[in-house]
Formats: sequence, C-alpha cells, structure tokens
Amino acid sequence: MSKAFFVDTTVCTACRGCQVACKQWHNLPAELTTNRGTNENPPDLSFDTYKVVRMREEVIQKKLNWLFFPEQCRHCLSPPCLDTAGDPRAVYKDEVTGAVIYTAETRFLNADDIISSCPYNIPRKSADGTLAKCDMCNDRVHNGMMPSCVQTCPTGAMNFGDEKEMKELAQKRLNDVKSRYPEAKLLDAEDVRVIYLTLYDPKLYFKYAVASNSDVNLTRQLALKKMFRPLTAIASRVLQA
Amino acid sequence: MEVTRRDFIKITGATAAGLAVSGSLGFDLSPVKAHAQMLKTKYAKETTTICCYCAVGCGAIVHTSKKGDGRVINIEGDPDHVINRGALCSKGAALAGLVENENRLLNPMYRAPYATEWKEVTWDWAIDRIARRVKATRDASFTATNAAGQTVNRTTAIASVGSAALDNEECWIYQAMLRALGLVYIEHQARI
Amino acid sequence: MTNHWIDLKNSDCILIMGSNAAENHPISFKWITEAQKNGAKVINVDPRFTRTSSKSDIYAPLRSGTDIAFLGGMIKFILDNKLIAEEYVLNYTNASFLVNKDYSFNDGLFSGWDAKAKKYDRSTWTFQLDANGVPLRDLMMKDNLCVINLLKKHYDRYNLKQVSKITGTSEAELLEVYKTYAATGANDKAGTIMYAMGWTQHTVGVQNIRTMSIIQLLLGNMGIAGGGVNALRGESNVQGSTDQGLLFHIWPGYIPSPNGKIAKLEDMLKRRAQSKDPLSLNWWQNEPKYIVSFLKSLFGDKASAENEFGYPWMPKLDEGKPYSWLDLFDEMYKGSIKGFFAWGMNPACSGSNATKVRKALANLEWMVNVNLFDNETGSFWKGPETIPENVATEVFMLPACVSVEKEGSISNSGRWMQWRYAGPKPLGNSLPDGDIIMELGLKLKELYKEGGVFPDPILNLKWDYMADHKFDPHKVAKQINGFFVKDVKVGDQEFKMGSQVPSFAFLQNDGSTSCGNWVYAGSYTDKGNMSARRKQEDAPNKIGLYPEFAWAWPVNRRIIYNRAAVDPKGQPYDAKRWVIQWKDGKWIGDVPDGGQPPLVGPDGQPDPKAKHPFIMTVHGLGQIFGPGLNDGPFPEHYEPLECPVEKNFMSSQFTSPTAAHYGTSADTFATCDPRYPYVGTTYRVSEHWQTGLLTRPQPWLMELQPQMFVEMSEELGALKGIRNGERVKVSSARGSLECTAVVTKRFKPMKIAGTVVHQVGMPYNYGWRWPTSGKEESANLLTPSVGDPNTRIPETKAFMVNVTKL
Repeated sequence: MSKAFFVDTTVCTACRGCQVACKQWHNLPAELTTNRGTNENPPDLSFDTYKVVRMREEVIQKKLNWLFFPEQCRHCLSPPCLDTAGDPRAVYKDEVTGAVIYTAETRFLNADDIISSCPYNIPRKSADGTLAKCDMCNDRVHNGMMPSCVQTCPTGAMNFGDEKEMKELAQKRLNDVKSRYPEAKLLDAEDVRVIYLTLYDPKLYFKYAVASNSDVNLTRQLALKKMFRPLTAIASRVLQA
Repeated sequence: MEVTRRDFIKITGATAAGLAVSGSLGFDLSPVKAHAQMLKTKYAKETTTICCYCAVGCGAIVHTSKKGDGRVINIEGDPDHVINRGALCSKGAALAGLVENENRLLNPMYRAPYATEWKEVTWDWAIDRIARRVKATRDASFTATNAAGQTVNRTTAIASVGSAALDNEECWIYQAMLRALGLVYIEHQARI
Repeated sequence: MTNHWIDLKNSDCILIMGSNAAENHPISFKWITEAQKNGAKVINVDPRFTRTSSKSDIYAPLRSGTDIAFLGGMIKFILDNKLIAEEYVLNYTNASFLVNKDYSFNDGLFSGWDAKAKKYDRSTWTFQLDANGVPLRDLMMKDNLCVINLLKKHYDRYNLKQVSKITGTSEAELLEVYKTYAATGANDKAGTIMYAMGWTQHTVGVQNIRTMSIIQLLLGNMGIAGGGVNALRGESNVQGSTDQGLLFHIWPGYIPSPNGKIAKLEDMLKRRAQSKDPLSLNWWQNEPKYIVSFLKSLFGDKASAENEFGYPWMPKLDEGKPYSWLDLFDEMYKGSIKGFFAWGMNPACSGSNATKVRKALANLEWMVNVNLFDNETGSFWKGPETIPENVATEVFMLPACVSVEKEGSISNSGRWMQWRYAGPKPLGNSLPDGDIIMELGLKLKELYKEGGVFPDPILNLKWDYMADHKFDPHKVAKQINGFFVKDVKVGDQEFKMGSQVPSFAFLQNDGSTSCGNWVYAGSYTDKGNMSARRKQEDAPNKIGLYPEFAWAWPVNRRIIYNRAAVDPKGQPYDAKRWVIQWKDGKWIGDVPDGGQPPLVGPDGQPDPKAKHPFIMTVHGLGQIFGPGLNDGPFPEHYEPLECPVEKNFMSSQFTSPTAAHYGTSADTFATCDPRYPYVGTTYRVSEHWQTGLLTRPQPWLMELQPQMFVEMSEELGALKGIRNGERVKVSSARGSLECTAVVTKRFKPMKIAGTVVHQVGMPYNYGWRWPTSGKEESANLLTPSVGDPNTRIPETKAFMVNVTKL
C-alpha cells in the first residue's frame, strides 16, 4: 500500500529533531554554517541536507506568529523529476511505498534540468553532478519502521502512514482548525505524498510551500503540465495562494 | 535487560515485496535497491538508554555494531518509552554524534605548573598524583575546631562542583568520598 | 515536579512562565500538544517571543525580573473576584491560621528586620497556638490576622495599573492571563505551571516560585492531575544529583547538613519541630531513622551506637555560613581554596560573572577536570587574556565515557528513576565516572593507611562497590535503597539480615538498617531493580501514571500531595481525572500521600485516624503563609540588582534587602547607569545544552546553531544602526563579548512607567574552546555574581548591558 506524509505545521515547534534525525540515519555530514541573523540553518537544502525547517516571523492580524515549515521532497504522485530524468536506473518510484528515489546513476544525467523541473525546488547536486534528496527513509519503511523524521517528531507535526489514512488525518486536522483559521488549507493535497497543513497563506511560510511555476522556465512549465491535470487547476491554486 | 517492542508501523507484506518489485520494472535494480532496503542496524546489538541532556528523561535505543570496532551505528528514540514514544529533539537525535566524536578525550591529560601544553599520562600516574595532592592539601588545611570552638572536622581548602551529569550511583559514592575527606564546599549544577 | 511529564496532558490550562519548554524541554510539547488538542489553553509569559510562544494560545511579554509583580496581581485578581477553591483552601491550606500579632509588613520590609545585620529575625513570622500547641484557626476566615486576610492586604497594592507600570505588560494582557488561569479554580479544572531557570535565577528566585505556589493553593491545583508546581530541570540527572546530596546544605534525601553547633548525634536527631496537632503526620519526625541509616551506609560495620554511628567523622558547617557556588568562587578568587574538582561541569562558562570565576581558577594549586571533551574550565590556563607561563595551577583532565557506554540510573524532572544500559565499551581509555571515583577513593585509603590527619572517616568509609575491579552500579543502587544489617522484626513482619528494605517505612534509628538515601528506599528491593521496569499498562484511573514503568520517588508516588486531590470524604474533586479515591475502606489509584483515612468518615463525622494532606509540612497544610524563608513569609516585588528603573514602584525598598552580595573588586554593578541602558537576559537554545560543553564539539548541532548571538528588537536595531546578522559588541559592568546580532520582531520595546525600555537576550551556550575560532564567548562574562537570599542562585536572568556596533 503506498505511503504518504502529513505535515501538520500547526503543531510544529521547530525543535528540529527531524532535521538531525535525517542526517543521523543517512550518515550525512554537517555543513559549516554561520548565524545569518536567524535560527534557520543550514540556509538551504543541499546534497548533504534533505530537510530544513523554515522559520518565518510574520505579523498576521496584528499578532506576531513564528511560522515553521519542515521542508522536504513531496514525493509527487506524478514526479516531474522522474519524467525529466527519463532513466529509471537514476530516478525511480518505489512501487510499494511510492517513494521517489534517486540513485548514484543521477550523475550521468543533466542535473540542472532535473532540478529546475521540480515544482518545489528540492533536488541538489554534488560536485560530480550526483543528485540527492529525501528518500522517504525507504529502507526503514520497507522494514516496518517510520521514517526518521516522523519517528523523532514529538508533537505529531510529522505523520506517516498509508496514503488513505494520511489523507483522512489531514482532512480531520483541517476541519479541527478551519473554524478558527479560515485561511487554513492542505497544500497540493491531490498531487503529492507529503501533504502540509498551514493556517495562513502558505507563501508566508516558505517560498516553495506550494507548487510554483513562477520561475518561468520551460522545463518546469512542461513538467507542471504533466504533473497537474488540468493546468487550470494549479493556476487557480496558485492564485489563491 | 528487557526490550519488549514494538509498535512500529505495519507495512502489509512490505519487507518481502520490497525486494520483489525490481523484476517487475523490466530491468535489474537489485544492487541499488537491495542496499537501500537493508537496515544499517540489522545486525547490531540493541540497548536502551535515557537521553543525557535535559530532564524529560526520553528513552532511546542504541545500536552497537556486533562486528569490527563495536561502535555505535545508530541511536534513535525508543517507541516503547512511555514519555517520548520514539521522539527526540535535535540534541537527542544527534546522540550518536556525541558518542562517536573525534573530539572526545581518550586519555588522561596533565598540565604541569606554568606549562604551555597538555601532556598525555596514564591513569595510574594520574590517580596516584591526584590522591597525593588531595591528601597534602587536606592534611595541611584540616580544621578540627572552628573559631567558636565547635568540632567541625573539615577542610575548606578543597572544593568540588559536579555533577548532574553523573548517574545516581556515581553521585552517591562521590558525595560519600567528599564528605569522608571533610569537604564542605560541595556544589553542583542545581545551584546555578 | 510535583507531577510528571505525561501528566501535562491532563491539564486545562498550562502556564509556561520562567521556562521555554518548546526549546529547552522539547519533548514536553508532546504532552502539551495533546492537552491543547483536548481543549487546554497554553499561556506563555516571557520577555521574548519564543518557539514556546509560537504554540501558545496567549502570549504576554514582561520585563525580566518582574514576575512577582505579575503574579501578585493574579493573587489580587483571584481574591477580589472570589475565585478561590473555598473548601480546598479552608481544609488543606493554612489560610485560616491566625498569625502572630506582632507580624507586620511596612513599605517593603517585614517585621523583624535588622538593618545592621541585613537579615530578618523571623520570630514574628509565626502562628498563634492554642493551649495544646496547635495553630489557632478562624474557620470563618474573618479575623484580620487570618493568613488569607493578611494575604489580601499584602497584595492589595498589586492592582492592574501598578503591575502594568512595573512589568510593562499591558493591562489587557494581564487581565486575559489572570482570567484564563484563574478559571482553573473550579473543582473539575486543572491548571499547571512549568517553570525553570527563568524563575530561579533572580535575587527573588524562591519567592517567584512561592508566588505561584500560593496561586496553586488558592485555586486547589496542588495534588491533582494536570496541576502542581513543576520545575523543569535542565540536566538529565540534576534531580538525582540533588536527591543524592551533592550540595553543601543537604545530605542525601534532603537531610539538612549539620553545623558545628550540633555537636552530638543526639542533638541532630532531636532538632525537628514537633507538631502537637493529632491530625498532622509531620513526616520529618521520622528523620532520625534516615540519619542513622545514612551514617550506617557510609561507614557500615564501623558505625555503631557507641561511636554515634560515625557522626563525629562527618564535616560540619559553621552555623549560618553559606558554602554555595557563589561563596565557593568568592573564596577561590580570594585565594583560600587550593584544590578543586570540576566534575562534569564547566564553571568557566556556567558561572555567573565568569571573568571572576576564570581568575579564581588561576589561584588554585591544583585542579581536576573530568569530562568528555576538553573545555574552557580544564584549559582555562590558555584561555583568552591568559598567559600560561604565569599560571601555576597543576591541571588534571580526565576522560569520562559517555552515558551509553556505562550502566546506572538517572532521575528525571518528574522524579522517575530510570536505568540505562551499556551499549559500546568506553571509547579509548575513557572510563565511567564511577570507576574514576572508586579508584581515587581506593588510592586515598591506601595513602591514609600510612598515616595522615584525621584518617578515620577515610579509612572507615565503606567502599566495596566494585566487582571484577570495576565499578558496579548495582551494588550502590542496593546500598542507596537500603537493607537490614541484622534480622529485624518490624510490626508483625520479619526481615532477614541482608534483605533489602521494601520502603522507608521500615528504616530504623538503632543501626539495624543501612540506607544511602531514604527517598530512594523501594527502588531496588528483593523484587529487583524497580527503575528498569518497562511495563506499558496504565493505572486504573487512566491518567498516564504508568506505575510499573521505571520507578518514582517517593515510594513510586507519581503525583505528590495527591491527598489534596480528594474532598474531605476522600472522593475526587475531578471524577474524570481522579488521582486517588477512598473506596471500600482503602485508597485506590496512585500511591497515596500517607495511607490514613480521609478527614471525614462516611457518617459525616471527623475521623480521628485521619491526617492532613501536606505531610511534609509541620502542620500538615499547604503554606500560603510561609514562615521558613530568609526574605519574607509573603513574596514581595523588588527590583533586580541591576535594573532600568530608578525606584521600586511598590515600596521604598529598591532591591531585595536580603540578596546575597559579594565584595571583591570583580563584583561590580551598574544600575540605572547610562553606560548600560538595556535589560539583558540569558537563556539556552534548543540545539545546545548548558554551556555547550557536550554539544559545541558536535558538527550536526553546530550546523544548527554555529555562533553566539544577541537578540534585540527591530526598534533597538534601528536606534543603534545595527543590521540583522552583523557582529556587535555586548558589554556590562563586568565584561564584554562579540557576537552576531539577531534583529527580530520577537523582542519588543516595553513601556515601563512611561519610559521605553529595551531588552536584549543571549544564549549562554558558548565558550572560547569550541568552535575552534575562539571567538564565540560565554554570556556569563556579562552576568552578575549576586544571589537569591535562600538558594544563593545567581541573578543571571536580569542585568544591564549595552550593545554597540563593532
């Protein structure tokens, strides 16, 4: 049965256990960083960083909010990167879990094309052009364990399970908060395996919180066309946002 | 010890299916996939621990290699721990990086008066030298009676701070030793 | 914590004040979030908007150091609006007691003030007693000398306008917090407080907590599920290390250390106040059994009735003289301390006024530093502005292993003792701390066999805690629990020599039992190691007690003072979340705080066998009037030693009259000084731990929080021309450091008595040794060495600084 994440940003405390648990499980090295005037670090995803908790200070209706958004690959149902790659040895979808997996073979492909085809700006390349991103902890999942980021999450911000179950949980949480937060929404819920719930305009949380074709780029536009059926649906979503 | 586990997610037939799918794609991915789906903790020894940082007391599972150097492969939250149910914060999630850390001290070090560098020494030498220094300072400073003429049997020339980083049993023998020596300057983290 | 972590889920209102739980106790939010999902309100009061604030239903800022004003206003609000839990307050607290006629409070000072000695004579902070010596009570609570009426009078000054003027919190915000929290005074509502060093690190630290304790008693929130007063302790075993007496003023189990005036053991055994009230259990009357059993645990067969069980061998304090952290480093700075152990600690960064601490270290003849990594304390002799060739101190740096490389127990904030197992072997030649202590003890014994001053306590110390030449934590754990040293009959139960004591109720004062720490009796019995239990089943009341998971002191009681969770007939105030209840002639649920029957029998008549619920107090009742502290029976607002206002708007007494001060040239202060115009405070980040001595050498955590920083408002940034992310200098009367400016919306300037006051905050997680750039320094270079008059914990949460562009 294919899997999905539900990311409930309404209860995320940005403890960043997920960020470290990801590195720990994947044996990823730390990056040398500096304090840039924010708690958010590293500054971006990278070949060695599959997950970054975005932290934004926003005054909404005269009240200060600190919005947290644990950014990661959405494991799209129709992954544009997979189509762009066109080589199942390099990018393939795990038929059991639905995880979109990158292998070492990605180094033989045009990394920039694949990166720019991603509506969420996720994949990152190493010096030799190999691509990396969240792999859904596919090894753990196949062995009956939660992905590291989910297991380590204290508050229920990170959830993982069968796609249907996650969609129901997402809908339930949306219903719980909707009356108090009319702007609350599930982001691109029909198209991805990582469904986020936000209380306010998702763009306030992070630039790439929702699928974006704002960087006008042929590859990405084509990819989006393939990904979202029909294109008008995504356009309206973007307008809403 | 007893590890009764575990309420991990149930994946219907997943483990078997994981390796079976490669054929259905029409090409052979097995080396890559077989590697990806083998847990790095599969052949490790499991022990439970409690996180060493804040006092929530979260449970964690330590995976130690049964082969080679016998070092830690993985540490993650213990799903059967009733307080944290598998969760760990950034510090807790990094526990493996505390244990397997190239910056750790591996030998007793000694710095002589006015020296500019540390020098590596043996445990035997260090313990002997420390004990002699303790004894000399204690014996020279020991106060049997105070200014008011009361029996106090103490030394105020030696002080100790620490430690909340010790186990209960270690704390207890430490205070026993310090009090037997006559220390009254016994303090630790709880005071600051 | 009177309660425990999982119990947070049972609360209807969680006040997080003086702590930043989401960042410093992140997993607590598992249970806070669950409470919120069940409809609980979370209130966060903090000078700065934190990750905790981001998840709170109500956030209210306050000026650092004004918590008593804030909470005093809440006491007034509760009393003015008659929101107290009346039956509870009348039966379970000392609200109805009549106070000594000579007690008074006048313009910031309580009766008994000795201006010359700068301390109080507390003889008027007492209760009126009847002919039998039982406190007089006015059950109608009308008498002017009744505690509740004195309380009302005391806090009458704490009106919204006045509180707002002091705290900088708006009246609307105050009112919202007061209303929301006071609603938990209803019988079926529970309110809890989560505090940490944000309350303790002030010259009014203990009184901050007292103010909240009074509120909890007034609202009937002590003893119940989802209630209590909960200190969030900052280290994994700081609860345990306190329990085990690693402090100058207490032996294990909170037995106050004796001073020279207590010459004989019999004097020590007689020192406790006795209650004449037949309804008061006055648990401390059992102390003699614990003292004698402790001495037996130290000296074993060498302790006998003939030699006062070794009491003369124990070191004694001078009466009234503190030997606390601040005093210790003051003495070291002055040169009287020659030898020093820094065991699993980093005072060069963790001590307030760290420059004074670092200079003090250079006065030592020798120092032993035991830790996992090199740190600023061990290497102080090559620290900033220190020339090694000038430092005579001989330094030993001993490598301890990591907790996962050894076996033993630690006790969490909720008093749960939990056993840990060894995974890998200690790395390199590092050793468990227990082995280092044992080896040092053995060597000392060897040396004293050859002679020395007063060798008896060292030679006679029982030191048989090794197996196969290695430290054996099980042997110590059994010693801490206690055992019978000969065949003993207690009541109708017989115990064989060598068997473990089942609980402290079986300890004796005649030397027939040996017990290292009475509060841990029951933790390692003949049934085994209770702290290693992992049973998943909850107790029948289903409130998350998990009674067979680990072990909690005392006697596996998960919620202490739980006898106050029931009405006088023994029935729960909250039937849904009951803790204990009297059923068929016995208590069910959690382990009750004393097994005696309820105050009132089924026939409605008082039961003579009953006992009051607060068994650790002399009179058995919760202390709204608290006569035991050095700075007053009721909390009173005083300004921090360094503050931005020229006077205390509550009284003529500017700062705490009894605060601990020190007089060396390193003890400098600057209050209302234009050179240091901003309120400074310190805290931790989620990603580092304490001084960072374990986390700064870790790349994954350094990636998240690489550098020392100072947070300030956008308004202050604009005022000083400081841009977000640039390096700045922060200075105080004691020192300065360079760090990165975080200019944020999360700090806001406050209006204090019409004047704009800026606050800035810094983490104290850094030090020059790691990262190796050497540029990220400790915030404690700025903090003052003044302390609370009771605990002498330094005031590192409120002081004055300046911030300038580099």
